[in-house]
Parts: sequence; structure tokens; C-alpha cells
Amino acid sequence: MEITFWGVRGSIPSPGPGTVRYGGNTPCVSVTLAGGEPIMFDCGTGARNFGNALMSTPFGKGQGQMTVVLSHAQWDHIQGFPFFRPFYIPGNRFTVVGARSAAELQTVLEGQMAAQYFPVQTYRNMASAIELVGALDKDRIAIGTATLRACPILGGPPGAAGYRLQDGKKAIAYVGHGSPLSGTHAEIQELCRDVDLLIHECSFTPEDSSRYPTRQLSSLDQTLETAIGSGAKKLALVHYDQDYTDGEVDALVARARAAVTDRGSKLEVMGAAEGLILKV
Amino acid sequence: MKVRFWGVRGSLPVPGSSTVRYGGNTSCVEVLSDAGTRVIVDAGTGIRFLGKEIVREAQSAGKKIGSTYILISHTHWDHIQGLPFFSPLYNPEARLQIFARKRDDVRLRTVLAMQADTPYFPIPFHETRASIDFGELPDEATFPIAELNIATARLNHPYVATAYAISGDGCKVVYVSDTAPFEKILFGEEFIAKAPGADVELPIGDRNQLSAMRSSLVRLCEGADLVVYDTMFTDNDYKILPHFGHSRPMDAIDICREAGVSKLALFHHAPERSDDEVDAMLETARKLARTVAPNLTICAAYEGLQLPLGGSR
Repeated sequence: MEITFWGVRGSIPSPGPGTVRYGGNTPCVSVTLAGGEPIMFDCGTGARNFGNALMSTPFGKGQGQMTVVLSHAQWDHIQGFPFFRPFYIPGNRFTVVGARSAAELQTVLEGQMAAQYFPVQTYRNMASAIELVGALDKDRIAIGTATLRACPILGGPPGAAGYRLQDGKKAIAYVGHGSPLSGTHAEIQELCRDVDLLIHECSFTPEDSSRYPTRQLSSLDQTLETAIGSGAKKLALVHYDQDYTDGEVDALVARARAAVTDRGSKLEVMGAAEGLILKV
Repeated sequence: MKVRFWGVRGSLPVPGSSTVRYGGNTSCVEVLSDAGTRVIVDAGTGIRFLGKEIVREAQSAGKKIGSTYILISHTHWDHIQGLPFFSPLYNPEARLQIFARKRDDVRLRTVLAMQADTPYFPIPFHETRASIDFGELPDEATFPIAELNIATARLNHPYVATAYAISGDGCKVVYVSDTAPFEKILFGEEFIAKAPGADVELPIGDRNQLSAMRSSLVRLCEGADLVVYDTMFTDNDYKILPHFGHSRPMDAIDICREAGVSKLALFHHAPERSDDEVDAMLETARKLARTVAPNLTICAAYEGLQLPLGGSR
């Protein structure tokens, strides 16, 4: 599997000179399976750049097929949806997975595309074929040789889920919004058991986290709790707070590595940046 | 009067190294009168930083946040998506008055509240702490905000947008975004899937309505010190995408020339436009204006740009 990061920022895109290195686009991560099948996790503003890059592939000619996985429906995870160009090319086929049911997912997308907010008015006006699947509708979704499995996250945004993508012996997990330790933390940890790569929301330091309790986002401590407990080999942090400069993200990553060493864990930690490509 | 730009981008925010100079935040412009009345036009992501500035200013002056007026041109995402991140919204001392065009199909409060609703945002609109009033405006409205006078005109954009003229302190600034030129297509409520063919004749009723809309806009801009105009499109963009509802610099220059405007700010830059490309568009616009509108000064708006108007401090 090859993983590319197109957006790693949380809550709201944060343009400016202070965010150029890690990037200011909201979450979007693409995965290409060994068999070539593409998958997109989350559709933040990073999806616009991913979509533009796809225009020189079969997706530009209406011959593309992709699974799109939405971790939850907060704006920063869906706001790139109307700006993903392959959606507008007739012939392309998409399966969009998210929310608790297809009906709920449809409500989310139609609300976003409604005439008062966007001129296209409904996602059905996008020229490609888009099929909606609720994250909890099926036990497992087959994508080429891989299987995708969802685990609902309780205590966070309604309809949020963590995802595990297993392709033969290799596995990655995508947790776009962490579970509160009081919620489904144990279930998410199990979902991520021994993955080669865990991509996990980590919005801020524990101190900043306690300043913003209503935002329900993960602190570094919560993210490490899940990652170390799961036995994941590698952890990529994403979803940095919109106010964090590149220097502050550097500090967050350094602090994560020190904490991992302190706890005697072998977990490898990296701070994901726009443009980063990983192979599993 | 002073005008300050907090977000100058159209469609969606575009972070990255190629947009650092002009800025990647979506539409938000602040107008501050000499007496301190603050009017904000549009609530794109730029308003997040303006909100912080308002809080900082009040704190350092040891004052309450007080009244802020927000004029919304239309409720497409790039013009409202910063509102949930506008910190005065969560301050019980803040008082906000939000204005937009009245619609038959949906209330302004509903449109803004839905943005903050489950599952899209963690803090619902009814849990915001500021006192918020909503003003729904008829087409061609005129009304006062403190010592300022506001006038509006209808623009040619999908789902309809509104231009605002703000007058006071002996000067006038007009915000014209978003709009298509007043030709080819009369925009309304319906989705337009593709550009009309070259041979398609616009019905006479539509042509008359566009012509009247354009005259109203010229009147609104009459003698303005500054016009901020949606010039998202190059000539080539407009050829391909006339049904997207945006203008070229030449359209803005035409209106400004007829209205005797002093200064034009190119605004609502396309997401794909790099800083160098905005520079090039500005250069082309200035070259054009030298022959057709020699008295017009042109700049390209960037985040942080401050333009004092009239005899402002």
C-alpha cells in the first residue's frame, strides 16, 4: 500500500506563512492498494489537490473507480467534497462510505450541497456515479484484495467511525476523530491492533486540550494511549490545531517521541505533512 | 474610514506556498469608520483572524466587545464558513447584527444555524453567547448603521447575491462580490449545468432585467472612492465557465469607468491562482485601464491590505 497525505490540518483550513511546511489543508489521505485500487480517507480541502492530480489519470477521462471513506461529517472532513474534480467527470464511479447509514450520509451531503450553500444544489448534479454506503451497513467492505472495516466511535461527533484497511498481511488504520477515553476507546484500540500504520487525529497538547473541552478533540496523551495500547508499529499524527505554526507542530511531534521513549514503547511517531508519501 | 482585507480568496481556502503573499483565506472585508463603527462584509475564513483582533483590541482597551455589523453578500460557503470560528460569537458581551437579502424559501437565521448544527459542527448556534439580530433586506435596500449609510443592489449570481455600498466620513466603498457580467445568462434559483451555446439568444425579458441590474449597480458605485469587485476569472476562464457566475477585471473596469470610481480592488481570487498569476492579472488590468479608464487606480486585494479612504487617520 502507498499512502499520500493531502491535508493534515484540523477544524478549519489555515493558510499563511506559518503553516507552509506541514500544510494548512483539512484532512485528506489517499491510499493505493498493491493491486492499484485507490481509496480516499476524508474529503477536507486537501481533496481538491488530490482530485486535480487525478485528472491526468483515468479519472480525467471518466474511467476511474474509487472508494471514498468519510470518518465523520464535521466540516473539515467533508468541505473538499464539492471541489473534487473527478466527481464531475461522467463515467467515473465512486462508493462513498460514511455515517451510520446511507440515508444519514445522504442527508449530510445534500445539506452541504443545498442551493443556499453551493451552486450545484445536490450531489446528484455531479456527473459521475456516486453510490452511498453507511459505515455500519455492512460488516466488511471488499476493495480489490483488501477489506475495510468500520468501528463506531461513541462520545465524539455523531456518526463518527474509525477504519481498518487490511490487505493480506499488511494493515493500516485511519482514525480521523479520536475516541474519548471514556467512550469507545477500547474498541478503537482493538480495531487498530498491530497495524503497520495508524493515522490518528492529534489536535493539540494536553494543556491546550483542557482549554477547549467543547471541541471534543484528542490531546497528545489520548492519541498515544490508543496508539501504544494497540501495538501499532508506526503512528502518523494528523489534524493539528488551526492555530499551530510549523514550529509548534515540530514541538508536538518531538514531545510525542519523548513520551513514547519514556514509556518504553517501540512505536515510531511521525508528524504527517502535506505531500508526505509512505509505503507499507 | 479605513478598509482592511482579511480574506480575498473565492470558492474555498487555499493554503500553501504559492498563496502566501495574497493569502488563501476566503472572503472577508472590514470597514472601520473614523468614529469606530465596524462593518464586516462577508464571513469567509478570514473572519477568524478579525475575530481574534476584535477580542484583543477590546482586552487591551479594557472595554467590552460591543457591536459588530456583518453584511452577507450571499450564503455560499466561501462567504459564511468562517462564522463558527468568529470568537465574538461566543462572548456574552458581544452584540452582532447580521444582514443579508431576504428570501422566500428560507430564513437567514436557519441558513446560518444549519452550518453549526449536528453533525457538521460541535457547538450549535443556540449555544453561542453573543446577542445576535438578523436583518433580512429587500432588493435595493437603504438603511443606516450608526453614522454610516448602507445601500444595496442585486447581483447576477446563482441563488442571487447582493452588492453593498457603505457611505460615511465623506467617502464611499462598494463591495461587489460575487457576480457574473450582465450578459449571456440571467442567474436565478436554478442549477445551470453547462455554458449556453454561442448561438443561443437570451430572451428579451432576461436582457432587459440584466440591463436594469447593471444600471442599478453603476448607480450604487457612482463616485465611490473604492470598489471591491469579484474578478475571479481571466478572459479564458469566462469563455469556458460563464455559467459559474464570476467576472473578469475588464467587467469591473467597465462598471468603475461608468460610475467614475477612483480605485478598484481586484478580489475573490480563484483558488488555483498563484501569487505570481494574481500579479500578472493585475498588470494586465492596469494596462487595459490605462487606455479605457485612465483615472482609475487598480490594486489586487491581499490579506492584511489596509486602505485609508478620504481624510482618514
